[in-house]
Amino acid sequence: MADGPKPSSSVKLVLLGEAAVGKSSLVLRFVNDDFQENREPTIGAAFLTQKCNLPNRTIKFEIWDTAGQERFASLAPMYYRNAQSALVVYDLTKASSLAKAKHWVAELQRQASPGIVIALVGNKLDLTNQSTGLESSMGGLSLSAAANDGDEEEEEEGDARQITTAEAKSYADEEGLLFFETSAKTGHNVQEVFTAIANAIPESTLKTRGGPGSGRTGGGAAGDTFGGSGGVNLSAVGETNKDGCAC
Amino acid sequence: MWGGGSKKPQSGPAQEMVQVDRSESSFWRSRSPQSNATSTPHRDGAYKPPTDSQTKVVGASYSYADMLNFENTPSRPKTPTHSKHKSTPSTGSHSPTNAAASYNAFMSQTDDDWGLDLNDTSIPKETTVTGGLGSIASMAGVTSIEGRPSGAKGSKGAGGGYEYPLAKKRTKGLKAQFEGLVRDPGNSLHMIYHPPINTDVHSSAEIEAMNARISRINKFKTVLQSSTVDLTKLRSLAWGGIPDELRPMAWQLLLGYLPANCDRRVATLERKRREYLDSAKQAFSRGEAGMDQTIWHQISIDIPRTNPHIPLYGHNTTQRCLEKILYVWAIRHPASGYVQGINDLVTPFWQVFLSAYIEGDVETFDPGSLPPEVLDVVSADCFWCLTKLLDGIQDNYIHSQPGIQRQVSQLRDLVRRIDSGLAKHLNDVQVQFIQFSFRWMNCMLMREFSVKNVIRMWDTYMSEGNSGFSEFHLYVCAAFLVKWSAELKKMDFQEVMMFLQSLPTKEWGEKDIGLLLSEAFMWQSLYRNSSAHLRDDGTTVHNEELNL
Repeated sequence: MADGPKPSSSVKLVLLGEAAVGKSSLVLRFVNDDFQENREPTIGAAFLTQKCNLPNRTIKFEIWDTAGQERFASLAPMYYRNAQSALVVYDLTKASSLAKAKHWVAELQRQASPGIVIALVGNKLDLTNQSTGLESSMGGLSLSAAANDGDEEEEEEGDARQITTAEAKSYADEEGLLFFETSAKTGHNVQEVFTAIANAIPESTLKTRGGPGSGRTGGGAAGDTFGGSGGVNLSAVGETNKDGCAC
Repeated sequence: MWGGGSKKPQSGPAQEMVQVDRSESSFWRSRSPQSNATSTPHRDGAYKPPTDSQTKVVGASYSYADMLNFENTPSRPKTPTHSKHKSTPSTGSHSPTNAAASYNAFMSQTDDDWGLDLNDTSIPKETTVTGGLGSIASMAGVTSIEGRPSGAKGSKGAGGGYEYPLAKKRTKGLKAQFEGLVRDPGNSLHMIYHPPINTDVHSSAEIEAMNARISRINKFKTVLQSSTVDLTKLRSLAWGGIPDELRPMAWQLLLGYLPANCDRRVATLERKRREYLDSAKQAFSRGEAGMDQTIWHQISIDIPRTNPHIPLYGHNTTQRCLEKILYVWAIRHPASGYVQGINDLVTPFWQVFLSAYIEGDVETFDPGSLPPEVLDVVSADCFWCLTKLLDGIQDNYIHSQPGIQRQVSQLRDLVRRIDSGLAKHLNDVQVQFIQFSFRWMNCMLMREFSVKNVIRMWDTYMSEGNSGFSEFHLYVCAAFLVKWSAELKKMDFQEVMMFLQSLPTKEWGEKDIGLLLSEAFMWQSLYRNSSAHLRDDGTTVHNEELNL
């Protein structure tokens, strides 16, 4: 019912974050509504697409899901350079993964397109006491209310949480990031992340899309790292297949 | 069956791994006349058409285990539990007179050194077997004790007759001969089982395939049994695929881990295995606190994610052994450390070396019940062979992974040469080679093929010498990509990416792999020596000359 004349646009999204925080699992949940324990680690990057229906338009995400291990970090610029949005993921049961996420946020702010929409996502909520998903209807911001309880809950037994909602939320606010806590395993908040990103993409950005290179050339895309050829020019992608959908 | 065999490379790489130490003390040589002498009667005996009148045909060579368990012949060989109990009246029970004619015909076409199969280390001396094959079996017992280097050299074999700790160590799935194997992989040559051929059950095509297998195995055995293995010959044979039973030994030889000279094997293996076990012990001696946290963390999160679809890798024992191997390798190679993808590369070794010790399908096996001794040996062999493999592709895993970047751009240049239409199309839809082939290089196509197929590919890679995993792999990738040329040319960016990320290779078998390898060989023959071809655009750095 949603199709028809509704305008459709493509949005490039890149996932970044430490190894094994659940980047691929978030995408798999979003794209296929599926979850697999112990998926093989991503090598290099994986490409996927998924549509997101908004009331007045359809956004087609073209997703680059990158590998998390430090050794592959030099590949990342190729994938985020032309991205309009980024999902920076940490594992809220692992303190060091938020530090890594902050590092990625800083790098994006420095190197990626100036208008890039960044969402900070704490994954593996199912491993904490908040895993019941009662607040699943809440948007990202409403989680800040729950944040007040975060400190107390952390002490409860069986809670593997190492990063409080308050801590991550305040960092996200400081940096102007969208913020969510998710569980790729239960599906909690996953759709919401992508919908929020879709809503946050400025319409003006979408309208400028037309042909190769017209989309995101801002940020003065730096020289190429690999093979002497141009960077990943994702701008042209999907132009010929606007109605295509991965699902 | 071995599809790639016909295109075997004649010009092998340098023979630096050949062991030319033909030392005098060759146990093998001094014993070989005796061996030959004793094996001759086997042959006569073994090939005598049986007189009993059942419907089964004994069609092939047996390990002693088969002869001792004739009741069960059609199934896998049961390992003997007790020498004395095993003096089973044999033979006749399988071999039908009514099939004798075809049996003879079949025998006459097959290879002529089967008798060697009977020459098994592990036959207890006191075995007495009656019936048609009785003399053979007992002969084999005698020969094995005196005629095999490992048997004589090993502490247990020296006195005459093996002592098996069978009663205490009977483990489900573990081969009874494991102690001989632990000492010397050469003993695998005498544990090959050939299923009986039955003209009533098997089609002529099947019989032909079985005969081909036997003949091929015997070719390998001829090479592997010599006191100093001729690695050039082994390479040229192995290029077209190695029979499963001989693969553990052949891989270890091809990688230069197992000495070609059989006199050095037992001592070398003992030393190398000790070295690994000491390293591992030291690395883990202070518990997790004393370990490199970054490396250990990365390994421990990757181990449960390694081949998760194969039951073998879900077992705790596998996971503990693999993480130890990877960790010890990583701390001994600080320039690269552990990099994701190396966890994939260790699995073919694990699977192949483990398979030497067990019966049945290794991919569904739980190694938890194996004696620690066997696990140590398999782990150590995996560690050293992984080390040998990675030595040749070290720059794939150091900072910024220059080896992979070089290979990716070489691949791009190569495809421009061999399929310019495809190269142009990929360029038009703005697909970059790094976007799909990074993984091909980083994981040696292991994400694109089943482990079984990868194992077959590695037979060939190892036969290519040191450059197999760096250079020949490039041509395999090129052959693999252009295979999909027609489909790819109809696709846009998104379709190309999705397609290349999950190529339809699930149904691929040995034949497909053989064909792919042959095509790669062809491209390599055409382009390897044209040093300019990869420099088309003047930007490519390559190392072709270095390997020539």
